[in-house]
Amino acid sequence: MDKPSGGECLSHLFNHNGAPNTGYSQPPSIETATKPSIPAGLVRRQRARWPRLSEPEMVRHYTWLSKRNFGIDTGFYPLGSCTMKHNPRVNEVIAQLPGIADIHPHQPEHHLQGLLSIYYEMQHMLEVCAGMDQVTLQPVAGAQGEFTAVRCIQEYFRLKGDTKRTKVIVPDSAHGTNPASAAMAGFEIVEIPSRVDGRIDLDALRAVADETTAAMMITNPNTLGLFEADISEASKIVHDAGGQMYYDGANFNAILGITSPGLMGFDAVHFNLHKTFSQPHGGGGPGSGPIGVKAHLAEFLPGPLADRRAPTAGEQSTAVDEFWYHWREPAHSIGKVQQWHGNAGAVIRCWAYYRRYGSGLTTMSEHAVLNANYLRYAIHKAARDEGVDHLFVDGAETDVAKHEFTLSMQPAKEQFGISAMDVAKGLLDRGYMAPTVYFPLVVPECMMIEPTETESKDTLDTFAQHFAEVLKVDAETLHAAPTTTPVRRVDEVYAARNLCLRHPFDD
Amino acid sequence: MVDQLPNLGREDEMLKAMGLQNMEDLFSDIPDDVRFKGPLPLRPPQSEEEILSDARRLLGANISMGSRTSFLGAGLYRNYIPASVFQLVTRGEFLTAYTPYQPEVSQGMLQAMWEFQSLISELVGLPIANLSLYDGSTAAAEALTCAVRVHNRKATQPNTVYVSSLTSPDKMSVMENYCQGAEITIKTLEHNDDGTLNLDSLNDAAGSCGVYLEQPNPLGVLDEGLTKTKEIVGEHTALIVGVQPVSLGMVEAPGHYGADIVVGEGQPLGSPVTAGGPLYGIFACSKPYLRLMPGRIVGRSVDVDGKEAYCLTLSTREQHIRRHRATSNICTNETLIALMGAMHMALLGPDGLHDLAYRNAAACQKAKEVLVETPGVKIVHDAPHFNEFAIEIEGSAEACLAYLDDNGIIGGFDLGRWYPSITNQILITTTDQTTQQDIEALSAQLSMWTSHQGVSA
Repeated sequence: MDKPSGGECLSHLFNHNGAPNTGYSQPPSIETATKPSIPAGLVRRQRARWPRLSEPEMVRHYTWLSKRNFGIDTGFYPLGSCTMKHNPRVNEVIAQLPGIADIHPHQPEHHLQGLLSIYYEMQHMLEVCAGMDQVTLQPVAGAQGEFTAVRCIQEYFRLKGDTKRTKVIVPDSAHGTNPASAAMAGFEIVEIPSRVDGRIDLDALRAVADETTAAMMITNPNTLGLFEADISEASKIVHDAGGQMYYDGANFNAILGITSPGLMGFDAVHFNLHKTFSQPHGGGGPGSGPIGVKAHLAEFLPGPLADRRAPTAGEQSTAVDEFWYHWREPAHSIGKVQQWHGNAGAVIRCWAYYRRYGSGLTTMSEHAVLNANYLRYAIHKAARDEGVDHLFVDGAETDVAKHEFTLSMQPAKEQFGISAMDVAKGLLDRGYMAPTVYFPLVVPECMMIEPTETESKDTLDTFAQHFAEVLKVDAETLHAAPTTTPVRRVDEVYAARNLCLRHPFDD
Repeated sequence: MVDQLPNLGREDEMLKAMGLQNMEDLFSDIPDDVRFKGPLPLRPPQSEEEILSDARRLLGANISMGSRTSFLGAGLYRNYIPASVFQLVTRGEFLTAYTPYQPEVSQGMLQAMWEFQSLISELVGLPIANLSLYDGSTAAAEALTCAVRVHNRKATQPNTVYVSSLTSPDKMSVMENYCQGAEITIKTLEHNDDGTLNLDSLNDAAGSCGVYLEQPNPLGVLDEGLTKTKEIVGEHTALIVGVQPVSLGMVEAPGHYGADIVVGEGQPLGSPVTAGGPLYGIFACSKPYLRLMPGRIVGRSVDVDGKEAYCLTLSTREQHIRRHRATSNICTNETLIALMGAMHMALLGPDGLHDLAYRNAAACQKAKEVLVETPGVKIVHDAPHFNEFAIEIEGSAEACLAYLDDNGIIGGFDLGRWYPSITNQILITTTDQTTQQDIEALSAQLSMWTSHQGVSA
């Protein structure tokens, strides 16, 4: 196997074992009368075989790696369902302030009045936007929010003595986390097919909703970017059967201020704060997945919740406002899903993001939808102009999409053997991140495209033109794409068959 | 707001191109009866300067640990993080990337995470590590369910795991939430008066699916007995050890004394405390657990030219493929915080990690030397400690901590919050940031506290 060429850069962390003892020289330790001792049987016999780098080498290594990575800052990132929008930089500055970075969740409440007030404000804002009665900020990712909410629903039924409700209904177009989260909580999954147009099949729902139904999990707009106009009827069917409606908030950014899960009849919702608001996704996390619930589920939430009241004697009013902020444990709490108070650092960034929009959050959603529809229009137009419009079709028939849309490359596949993945790789060569491919599973050769509200019309026009031009490229060339990236197509089968999950050291 | 939306003012032009009249047309598919009426009842938008000013005011109302003398830890530890870590992690290419679904343009993060796996693997002494779970508690909880998946068939105590009774109730609560869906029973293991594990009680765990213990344990005690636990529980029971990663600069890697799975709160390496999140959960294991483990894994591969390349691998365990049969529902993890950990580890190197561990331990040793001489203070466990230990004081721990707080010291953690029957014990934590002056100030104030107790008694 060829070694990667890194120019003057250190290409591999573990290829380096130079002279310096460390890249960070520490001050002397505190002097003690007796040396700190580790029990004889617990003394580490061999130090970790980590590399020995000086600071300049370490900085160059990670700078080199960063240049081999694509982020929103690098270019357009139309990854459907993932909402890759610009991350305002002041949010990063705020998250580094010692009043958030250097506080401990076990500090007493009078040390944390600022944090508590921001938690309270965020809970309230999310309650207003979602039409829910109580929000907890504890879950640290969307999937964990799903798990938390179905756990709350489970305990709600258990406390009522309704033990037959062991099933959760999910549409076949749902995110994989929905069935995975419900199964983790111990539910049986009932999958219902979507209609041909990608929307929920009410008859299929009626057929399965019964006295064993604990909940239905659904996202709206759905994973095809379509608004489920029948959602109120779906809620009624599930409620009539005695079940609960759960809103997967992954696509909440499409409808904020336009409609709400509460108005649609949902009982519980999770938010992907990092998508709807903004927390840089950092190559795979962190995220933040608060949940909101209607009053009947509120006392099952994980604590602590931020609350406030008029200060009593001895409670100094703070620099925050006239209230005294405190934590509260819900009466029938399911307990904790993360050891502390959630991803506070992500909550703070999203608070800063919220403050930038305030009541104008509706405009944010409008522009997310405007950009998605415009890009869909522009791609079709560019394809017609270039004569390649016969190579793909809409993933779903609709007049308007919401924040994202799907295209099916099935015609290109059938006519020329050009797959959605080929088109994706062709786009990489033109300096773009590729859209999500092969999801949702209900659309063959699917490309799922979400531009977000932070892209300009010019960016969308140019991308549309490139998209059409990629489709003019012959199949053989596209199969070989990408050719301009740091590496070319990576052999995932080789990776799985020849597992190399760490540096081999000298083993 | 205006500065974030490039198409403000271009709406008509875009709508017209699409053959639409107004923004309302974009939402014609949403029925009237579910529409919001009127604007969102929220505050008006703010500019960057106003937001920053409010953030400084509100967060300034918090009392940061660095602004006080602090001995609070109990699972989160504020070690110094070198400046280069913060500088590098905010590079937009890392910061603003998504999960590396397109490996050709994600080699930087993929390689960094493969290196992270390698660093963690060496640190804990096991061949496999994933690229992070949410935090130490979810890593521990997922380790329990993983152990049951692997061992349930041969277990004489199926669907049963044993967890140290010292485990913090918050972590235990996470474990219960993660385990209840699979109908796993969590039983507890008892400890001796000196804080060490009762090895006789461990015999009960033989034949179960897994045992969870911490090193150092939640009372800060380094327990040599853990090196014997694998022999006792046997081949078909997973030994899961929770670690404080900095301690592994001096303390033996659990993989070298029989641990099958090592988990831990990664935060002390590379991440600020940040009010308890985001953190990163360490999860490492031996080969039998590989295909049933949770979380994402990076593998080294080749591209079509045979050039070394990295990609996500073994994805068939995961929710986006396996859906309700996945080994975990985790999707988003804590990659960026794990990257900070990798950078900190790369910078420290093996000797730097040893020095960091030694500074933690020396501060702990000093605190013990000073507090053992402090009137009215007793060190609860006559045992070796790494960077925290329990003291017993006169009067109530809660009142004592309030007294220390009035005198500018964040005095530690009231162990009564974990173990309600204990009312007069405080967990004292030291880190590389603890100074001799801090320790002397704590001693002086505890001495004062004791004398007040004498007066009031």
